Amino acid sequence: MIPITVFQALRKALVLAVLPLSLLGCGAGVDVEKALEGHLNGPPKIYRHSLAGAPASLDPLNSATMYANTIMTNVYDTLYRYKYLARPYEITPNLATGMPEVSEDGLTYVFRIKPGVYFIDDPAFPDGKGRELTAADFVYSIQRHFDPNNRSQGSWLWAGRIIGLDDWGKQGADYNAEVEGLKALDRYTIQIKLKKPYPQLIHTFAQGFSAIVPREAVARYGREFAVHPVGSGPFRMLRYEPGTYALMVRNVKFRQEPIDLQAEGFDPKLHDGFGLEAIQGKAPPLVDVLKIDFIKQSAAQWASFTKGNEIQFTGVPVEQVEEVLASKQRPLKLKPEYAEKYRMSHAIEAGFVHTDFNMRDPAIGYNDDPEREKRNKQLRCAIRAAFDWEDRNQRFYSGIGVIFPGIIPPVVPEFDPNLSRESVTRDLDKARALMRAGGWTAENLPTLVYGGVASVTTRQMFEQFRGWMKAIGFPEEKVVFDSYATFGDFNKAVKQAKIMIVGMGWGLDYPDAQNTLQLFYGPYGSPGSNNSNYNNPEYNRLYEQAAVMQPSPERTRIYRKMNEIMIDDCVSNTGLSRDRIMMWHKNVISYADRQIVGGFHLRFVDVLQKEEN
Amino acid sequence: MSQANTGCAVEVAAEEPRARESLWSKALYKFMHDRMGMWSLAVVALYGIIALGVWAGLWGQGWSANDGPMWAPPSSEYWLGTNIIGQDIFQRAIFSTKTAFEVGLVVAVLSTILGGLLGALSGFFSNRWADELILWLMGVLDSIPFYLFVAAIAFALSGFPYAMHVAMVLTFWTATARLVRGEVIKLKNFEFVEAARAIGVPQFTIIFRHILPNTFHILLVQATIVFVGAIKSEVILSFLGLGVKNGVSWGLMIAESTQEVQAGHFSNFITASAFLFVLVMAFNMFSDALQDALDPKKVQ
Repeated sequence: MIPITVFQALRKALVLAVLPLSLLGCGAGVDVEKALEGHLNGPPKIYRHSLAGAPASLDPLNSATMYANTIMTNVYDTLYRYKYLARPYEITPNLATGMPEVSEDGLTYVFRIKPGVYFIDDPAFPDGKGRELTAADFVYSIQRHFDPNNRSQGSWLWAGRIIGLDDWGKQGADYNAEVEGLKALDRYTIQIKLKKPYPQLIHTFAQGFSAIVPREAVARYGREFAVHPVGSGPFRMLRYEPGTYALMVRNVKFRQEPIDLQAEGFDPKLHDGFGLEAIQGKAPPLVDVLKIDFIKQSAAQWASFTKGNEIQFTGVPVEQVEEVLASKQRPLKLKPEYAEKYRMSHAIEAGFVHTDFNMRDPAIGYNDDPEREKRNKQLRCAIRAAFDWEDRNQRFYSGIGVIFPGIIPPVVPEFDPNLSRESVTRDLDKARALMRAGGWTAENLPTLVYGGVASVTTRQMFEQFRGWMKAIGFPEEKVVFDSYATFGDFNKAVKQAKIMIVGMGWGLDYPDAQNTLQLFYGPYGSPGSNNSNYNNPEYNRLYEQAAVMQPSPERTRIYRKMNEIMIDDCVSNTGLSRDRIMMWHKNVISYADRQIVGGFHLRFVDVLQKEEN
Repeated sequence: MSQANTGCAVEVAAEEPRARESLWSKALYKFMHDRMGMWSLAVVALYGIIALGVWAGLWGQGWSANDGPMWAPPSSEYWLGTNIIGQDIFQRAIFSTKTAFEVGLVVAVLSTILGGLLGALSGFFSNRWADELILWLMGVLDSIPFYLFVAAIAFALSGFPYAMHVAMVLTFWTATARLVRGEVIKLKNFEFVEAARAIGVPQFTIIFRHILPNTFHILLVQATIVFVGAIKSEVILSFLGLGVKNGVSWGLMIAESTQEVQAGHFSNFITASAFLFVLVMAFNMFSDALQDALDPKKVQ
């Protein structure tokens, strides 16, 4: 009997040890065992995350999407990150030792970084041993964005702001030449000198774009560096299949910093029931293996999640919201059959959707004839009054989106909850009165061209919009859809100011309303970020005034004033912030975020092993 | 005599209709006695009437109104329910019949004309440079994957609402042309053509007045095949976002349904699929019956 029992126990142990790794597929388990050799106490903890899209590159230069940003913030270090649990979002030091020392005039910043932080071991380094990360690496990583040989998608964050940096790039990008405004004062101290105050600077150093790379790895791998990240983040890339998955293992050299839940913004009222107390005092990363599957189709993502032994995290597709929620009243709750197996959180997105008028189109925007321009404004205001945000919310956002007036969304501290909701309330009588006042009839109305990607949802949104317009007198043939095969084609047409009515979404880069107010700043017109090509001198003046101000009640007042100006000019139908529902398996301890915290939250994710479950 | 004459007259009278019978009248007789053919024609005709009614503004005009509730079930007000934005699915399916016939007719007529003309020229001038050129052109067009070709045309004619029609015509005419070419090669050696040549009839008159009319039975059958092929392709292209730009089609309805089905709403999918299935089935059967009726080997 005894030999059989021993055999059974051995077999059980073997199954327990091998089974989790087998879930990774394609023999990846062997690589994981090898990579973490000597650092595992039993079966590895595996967390399988999912994203609805794939990064185009793993080079921080191209960290333009949330998908790329998620990878970047896990394999690389940034000076700052966002607190895991604090809402509204709060920035906190990551590689930096603390907040920067800022001069009185707001033009000079001094950052200090932690000593004893090492890059992962990689053949790019002498003897394959990762060396210490220094201030010079940070300087190099920012300089790369201005090297004309690189096609940076993130240089706009610092362009025209740091003394000498743009010129350094134009003069040939000599990495041995010093940049006056970007210096490593010593091994652990960075100094940045600005041309004019830039209060959002610190937030730019929490972006994947500012991730710190070693020069040796860039030199060794060349173009391959885009798929071979060498960083000092909490994870290191083990296997990367572009467009399919990223398999990462714990960076065993990552600095040991025990989690202080209070410092991360833990609130027992908000975070009760997520099991977060269990990670107090542990040092991230908490799992041995982080696999991120890139699954574009929401149905496939949902199927993989509910299967039970594949991905452990998903965003809930719109078509499943009714199925999983017990009620759409806040706080949202799962139906018992789902609550039994999964945990859920939801968050108002750090961004919003809006439908802009192209002010460069004389048929609806600015016009050389002052009388026509006045009538165009009446027409835009009539269209806005006919725009039914409630209906759009119900049909396309499960009725749980948050509708707000203007362009300062609820997620930023400058949001004004008391602002009049007139601009987001449908009023057909008012719309018809405006049409009459402008002298608009079915015969003289311009043809509204609604641009969008040739997708089912965009087409349905257009048809919904057309229905609203018909209600105020637009003939059906005067509201047409201009479809584009890809988002790239559509965006190109938007940047060329070719589309009359542009439906867009905007995700905040940092939690400051400046990031949304710049969307309507005149000098940023197409091909810049101002898709509406709105150009109001008073609005522009206030933007320039506020852009150099530190957060303060006065700055908030200016922001709100700009918001009102934009609303009064009827430039955009705005806005709605979607409520994102996320679910994860019950054995996962997490408080997922796909917004500002984004990829930073993954280092705090823990997985309960069978016996802890 | 009179009796004999009468008898002879009776005999002649009995023979006369047979003497006037043409391929067409025999085919019509045969087709009208094909029960499946007649049923399928009736179904196709019914769809045709629906399409004509939509075109004339008699019905299906509320396809774009979005004032209904979201995903309403079938009711007396909305016979087949509504979609996500409250549009009447029955009205949309009815309107889509017009879209299907529009695409089918335009593509069938144009590709048949193009295929007939180029096929006749190619066949008449077989083994000469004109034939080589047309064959090369057909080979090139046939070698391009259809959906890739449509995507390329749609991209090249960016914003042009009939890009899909252009792509289909450019693709579908080759099959017709190959068939006509073969028939013309056969016909051009017949005595009536040689006789025409002998009396000095110009070449193009021979092609278009003497030879081409003898290929009409092929063109007719081929037109019905192209018609149904165009409808199916339109549905697939619209599903892929490459098809109908303004309006609605069964393909768009099926594309919409991909998200609805996951939420447990099947009306869009079932309605569009059923409308498409019945028409395609009927048209295929009609086409088969027509082919049988017009086949010279089978016409007795």
